[in-house]
Amino acid sequence: MRGDVQMRTMESSYSTKEVTKVPGWHGLVAWDLLFNNLTTGLFLFAAVGELALPGLLAPVAKAAYPVALVFLLTDLMLLVLDLGDPLRFHHMLRVFKPSSPMSLGTWSLTAYSLPLTLIVAIEAAQALNLLPAGSIVLEWVRKLAVVVGFLPAFGSLAYKGVLFSTSSQPGWKDARWLGGFVANSALMLGCAEMLAMSVLSGHSKAAASLRTVLMLLLLLNIIPAGLLFAEFHNTLSRLYRERQVYLALVLPFVGGTLIPLILLLVGDSAPGILGAVSLILLGSLAIRSLIIKIPHASREK
Amino acid sequence: MVIRELELAGLPQASDPPIGPLSALLRRLTWPFRRGRAPQPHPATGFYTDTTVCIGCKACEVACKQWNQLAADGLNWSGNSYDNTAELSATSWRHVKFIEQFAANGRPTYPDHADSGAPSREVTLDQLLSGGGADRWLMMSDVCKHCVAAPCQHACPTGAIIYNEFANVYIQRDICNGCSYCIAACPFGVITRSDFDGHSHKCTLCYDRQRDGLVPACAKACPTASIQFGPVDELRDRARKRIEELHARGVPEAYLYGDEPGETYSELHSFYLLIDRPAIYGLPEAPFNPWLHLIGDYMRTIVSGLATVAAILAVLFLQGS
Repeated sequence: MRGDVQMRTMESSYSTKEVTKVPGWHGLVAWDLLFNNLTTGLFLFAAVGELALPGLLAPVAKAAYPVALVFLLTDLMLLVLDLGDPLRFHHMLRVFKPSSPMSLGTWSLTAYSLPLTLIVAIEAAQALNLLPAGSIVLEWVRKLAVVVGFLPAFGSLAYKGVLFSTSSQPGWKDARWLGGFVANSALMLGCAEMLAMSVLSGHSKAAASLRTVLMLLLLLNIIPAGLLFAEFHNTLSRLYRERQVYLALVLPFVGGTLIPLILLLVGDSAPGILGAVSLILLGSLAIRSLIIKIPHASREK
Repeated sequence: MVIRELELAGLPQASDPPIGPLSALLRRLTWPFRRGRAPQPHPATGFYTDTTVCIGCKACEVACKQWNQLAADGLNWSGNSYDNTAELSATSWRHVKFIEQFAANGRPTYPDHADSGAPSREVTLDQLLSGGGADRWLMMSDVCKHCVAAPCQHACPTGAIIYNEFANVYIQRDICNGCSYCIAACPFGVITRSDFDGHSHKCTLCYDRQRDGLVPACAKACPTASIQFGPVDELRDRARKRIEELHARGVPEAYLYGDEPGETYSELHSFYLLIDRPAIYGLPEAPFNPWLHLIGDYMRTIVSGLATVAAILAVLFLQGS
């Protein structure tokens, strides 16, 4: 055909546009991701700590479960509010589709909420003298609930990153380590929360031990974070200027990892530790917001 | 006039017996869990869209809107030739794309003028009959691809998205809760959440018409048979014959998009005959089913989580000892 070569060089305006549509997931989902990680990370860390070193960590863990429940309820509320039709939230439980991360996540969160509620209910009833405080049977029931809750809590944690990475959205679809990063980061957040609670409740021995663990987890988190951002790099470079990409990566790293690490290394004062934990939380929110924003930015571009 | 059939559906019906608020709540909670009897399966049906005969009349868009009572989107300036629909949406389940391929310098590429370099845009009848030169308009009526292994169906956590008895991907509008995961999963950017009702919407392949033995509205309205409807096997045969015919008539670039499964994606029950790269039509060059990563991503997550737990335990025990 005449002029074929010339025609092939012409691009249509459709070809320069992102093919996929962006789901209406905005700031609410970044908060949901954070609260999901806060509740599951806290529960898992408290459960591991309580079962492994009950003498050291059980008192702090007991305080952690009610906090985990509050975070879980906040997360569930965010999940419901994010739906196009919040009154149909229960439709999620119509089917069990393990092949769909969102279905698996919904069932995991539901299953996780039951033992967590039981643990908190037992603790609350004991605190209100409705149940005997020293009952061995109740203690075993509580511990059983902790063990039973471990798997669904881990499922609730694991589905979140995979939900985003198994999509067709720019950036997310390339993020093979998103789930790994989220899992690691959530446990780090759980440790940070436990450390803050130890400091606030005056459990200095537990705080000293958790400080070391948190420093290790901060260092470990650099590995999946590095792998993740290597996968994001091409997309981010396409969307933002080099300086913006640099700032987007460096600021959360410095603010959410490096400075907290220095603060934890420098000393064990309460303000220093609480400052470090606050920075970790802020850094975690910033990274999650950045991740959620990628498809939106791509569409706008 | 904008028809809001969803508003009508929300109004109390004269045939509904009055029920108390508790019964209403109970019904609302339980009815999504009820299951009807599955209909008998039929041969898979779909669309074959021959873009070479599309004239951009938008009769398909109009017919779709009219039959499905979809609200107008407004006549917006998209900057894409005669395209004022812009994209598939919750209220536009058909979208005719217009691709103008003209010389970048504004000169026509008809051989006579191109040789002389004259900046004229006049076209003679002889030039048109001789093939029209390089300048051309491509038009394509876009729609849901009704993928055989649809990522949206895979993603849907409520079971709202199903394969119906015609093997079409169908959203049950009374079940969808607007989680938007299907939107994130679709590699073709088909599904959209409505701002009006908060649910996801897309082409139903005129399920209601098919059940009554009718052809979907768009295919019925298409005046050039660019949109053809029927059993998918028959459509494939027809499309392959058309490809052979086009090749024989000097259009070697004609090919079918989505008629066969690729390495990373299933075949489509709505496939296309194209004469340029898929990206030119706003289609992904090589669609990828995101679920191919599912197991690997879960494995990395589990390994990462367990390694972190192991590290925590190691430090705690070392400190404890």
